[in-house]
Amino acid sequence: MTTRDFKRFFSQYKILALLLAIAMIWLFFEQLTDGAFLTPRNFSNLLRQMAITGMLASGMVFIIISGEIDLSVGASLGLLGGIAAILDYTYQLPMPLIILIVVALGIGIGLFNGYWVAYLRVPSFIVSLAGFLAFRGILLGITKGTTVPLESEPMIMIGQAYLPMMLGNFLGVAVFALMAFLTFRTRAGRAQHGLAVPPLWQDLGKLGVIGVLIVGFVYTLNQYEGIPVPVLVTLVILGVFSFMANQTVFGRRIYSVGSNLEATRLSGVNVRAVKMLVFGMMGLMAAFAGLTTTARLAAGSPSAGTLGELDAIASCFIGGASSRGGVGTVYGALIGALIMASLDNGMSMLGVESFWQMIVKGAILLLAVWIDVVSGAGSER
Amino acid sequence: MTEYLLDMRGIVKDFNGVKALDGIDLKVRAGEVVGLCGENGAGKSTLMKVLSAVYPYGTWQGQIFWDGHELKATSIRETEEAGIVIIHQELMLVPQLSVAENIFMGNEITLPGGRMNYSAMYKRAEELMAELKMPDVNVALPVYHYGGGHQQLIEIAKALNKKARLLILDEPTSSLTKSETEILLDIIRDLKRKGVACVMISHKLDEIAAVCDTISVIRDGAHVGTRPMSGMDTNEIITMMVGREIKNLFPREEHPVGEVFFEARNVTCLDVNNPRRKRVDNISFQLRKGEILGVAGLVGAGRTELAMAIFGCYPGQYSAELWLDGRRISVDSPRAAVTQGICLVPEDRKRHGIVPLQGVGANITMAVLGEYARHGVINAEKELCQIEKSIARMRIKTASPDLPIRGLSGGNQQKAVLSKMLLPNPKVLILDEPTRGVDVGAKYEIYKLMFELVRQGLSIIMISSELPEVLGISDRVLVIGEGQLRGDFINDGLTQEQVLTAALGQSAALAA
Repeated sequence: MTTRDFKRFFSQYKILALLLAIAMIWLFFEQLTDGAFLTPRNFSNLLRQMAITGMLASGMVFIIISGEIDLSVGASLGLLGGIAAILDYTYQLPMPLIILIVVALGIGIGLFNGYWVAYLRVPSFIVSLAGFLAFRGILLGITKGTTVPLESEPMIMIGQAYLPMMLGNFLGVAVFALMAFLTFRTRAGRAQHGLAVPPLWQDLGKLGVIGVLIVGFVYTLNQYEGIPVPVLVTLVILGVFSFMANQTVFGRRIYSVGSNLEATRLSGVNVRAVKMLVFGMMGLMAAFAGLTTTARLAAGSPSAGTLGELDAIASCFIGGASSRGGVGTVYGALIGALIMASLDNGMSMLGVESFWQMIVKGAILLLAVWIDVVSGAGSER
Repeated sequence: MTEYLLDMRGIVKDFNGVKALDGIDLKVRAGEVVGLCGENGAGKSTLMKVLSAVYPYGTWQGQIFWDGHELKATSIRETEEAGIVIIHQELMLVPQLSVAENIFMGNEITLPGGRMNYSAMYKRAEELMAELKMPDVNVALPVYHYGGGHQQLIEIAKALNKKARLLILDEPTSSLTKSETEILLDIIRDLKRKGVACVMISHKLDEIAAVCDTISVIRDGAHVGTRPMSGMDTNEIITMMVGREIKNLFPREEHPVGEVFFEARNVTCLDVNNPRRKRVDNISFQLRKGEILGVAGLVGAGRTELAMAIFGCYPGQYSAELWLDGRRISVDSPRAAVTQGICLVPEDRKRHGIVPLQGVGANITMAVLGEYARHGVINAEKELCQIEKSIARMRIKTASPDLPIRGLSGGNQQKAVLSKMLLPNPKVLILDEPTRGVDVGAKYEIYKLMFELVRQGLSIIMISSELPEVLGISDRVLVIGEGQLRGDFINDGLTQEQVLTAALGQSAALAA
């Protein structure tokens, strides 16, 4: 295979390249840890580690696709998590109400950022840098710099509970059934509109692969404690956001705004509203990540989420999002988060000092984007 | 022995087999001002790029003699050292740097250690300013303090500082006011007396007549003629510029034209950077149902700005009063325009037309995506059905509707953009240079489509720089020059000369 074929192969099947990278990283650590890395227990840990970054990355990827950036999400994560802890500890509100308030606040923060970017035309780098400072400042102010413990059991469950095995199995079956239903509905729809229907074996084959992945995933996690709740939440986000990106008007708009804002505007699209809503989604993700963080630590910490935005941004770029906008996927961002978490987890197991971990992660980010640039995605523009 | 300072002989330049210049001669004596005229796309800019070595020696055929010796320059630096300096239409100044810093950019006077010798540079810059009769300019102030006219002169100072012996001015007055233009023309006369030669590219024949000694006309990449200015009148120049027959490339079809249906009143657009200048100056016009209205004029006359104002997307300050079907409509954004039945196919396809990374299909349905969705969820099959219909109707050549549109040829991209703007079922369709960068076959199909549309009752405004196209397609022709409406003709026996005369500002044409 010549270099050019190689490049074309990877730019077309980016997902394969990413999976290959994960497989190599896992095998590498498996080798060095004498088989301690690829155990159900560690797999469960790994997924729980990536869940929070994954939530942020799921929102961030749309920000990046639309051609913007958000540096404030680590701080808003901390702020929202801190508010959740205060509502629980000081005001003793019931869990559903706390979740409702925090989610509403998160969306509000996101829309606020989005309004500044889209309507007041302040560059997103600046708007979010301001948020980066201000949100952390508010957090320090309302907690007076101290850690606020969580009192109620249900709140802690959000971050620490596992799904009962039976429920996990049931969910696995349900997801498979949903995928099968969607596949056949698409086939029926195409047939109804007189469009070419792909051969049946092709769709059955795809479903088969999905089935094997679901069984393997549920089985492995059930070997330990079951599916962790934050991981479940992340997977639901993956499903909902992927659907939104591919099947909805709004999803399509995000990509076209990022690829050519002017042409989209001149087609009669309200590009400002699109941008503002993308930031609103980011705020929602910061709320989820904040609740999860607080629940996992069983406390609201004034330093929670520090540098979380950078992990999320790095995940998106490692997962194939383009720094010029218009390109990116939610699953890519999550795989990026998984790569980052794998590196963290593996190196920690090996006892590599944290400064080395930072250096390695930095190098991986640089390498990933460089590969994206030389693989020709950018040269044609 | 050398009568001429510059002697270009038989210059041929082709782009992928298409000849942009086909054997052009240009001769300039020291201290002579030569006006270079020609229609849009005649090859004026290409010729100047050959001369200034933007296209280096070897990428074109022919010979350039400079001061008696053959010039084989391969970079702009070499031509500048020889004394050939080009001043582009868009000014190349850095607004934040001072006047002096701009003048000396690239050949700063330095002290040991690379420090800037400001006192020497300021002194020289002040001398140059005095020479250009602008002694009140503070050379230490950033350039953005000064308006378009001063900036144009600062560019000239920069050129003089390079010891220019031949100055090429490409549309130097296109962004200047009347009085600023006068100052510039005075400066050119002054430089002439000092022995600096000048090639001036301009669409404004009165300016050419005011300063040039000789006029050289090119047309379709060929040299038409060089004459002394004295004794020429503008009509002769226009005849030289046009001088070609309309070939039967246009499938003109008879079609009924109805009552007045759309009206734009008092459209005025101010220049984004120089708000004292009006890009569009109080233009009003009417459009009938089922009519194709051609809008002619030279590049920069304000045609695109007029279209943008009607479509609600002019970037600067503007005002316009629009009436559609007897009702006053308010269009403050492209969104409002599209929903009220006005669609625009923009001039710059790459920047304003296509979303390059998205599929051909997604580009086509972009403006009406909501129609294929319920609760925001796209019915992909229903959408694909429409996409395939559009692709078949327009004969867009693409392997798959999912293929990113940037991979398509210009003609197919244009057809996709047209499809996009037809799906909202507009009542008024504005086409800005609809056939630019489009091959002959696709052009023909686009014309056919336009006639099909007007027969269905649509009204079309077509802006075009190609006069044969305007005359071959339109029912009526608006002529715009320097932001003003210069003529409104029924296209019945209308000639290119009449249109060009009006565009160049010969007020007599208004009577026609």
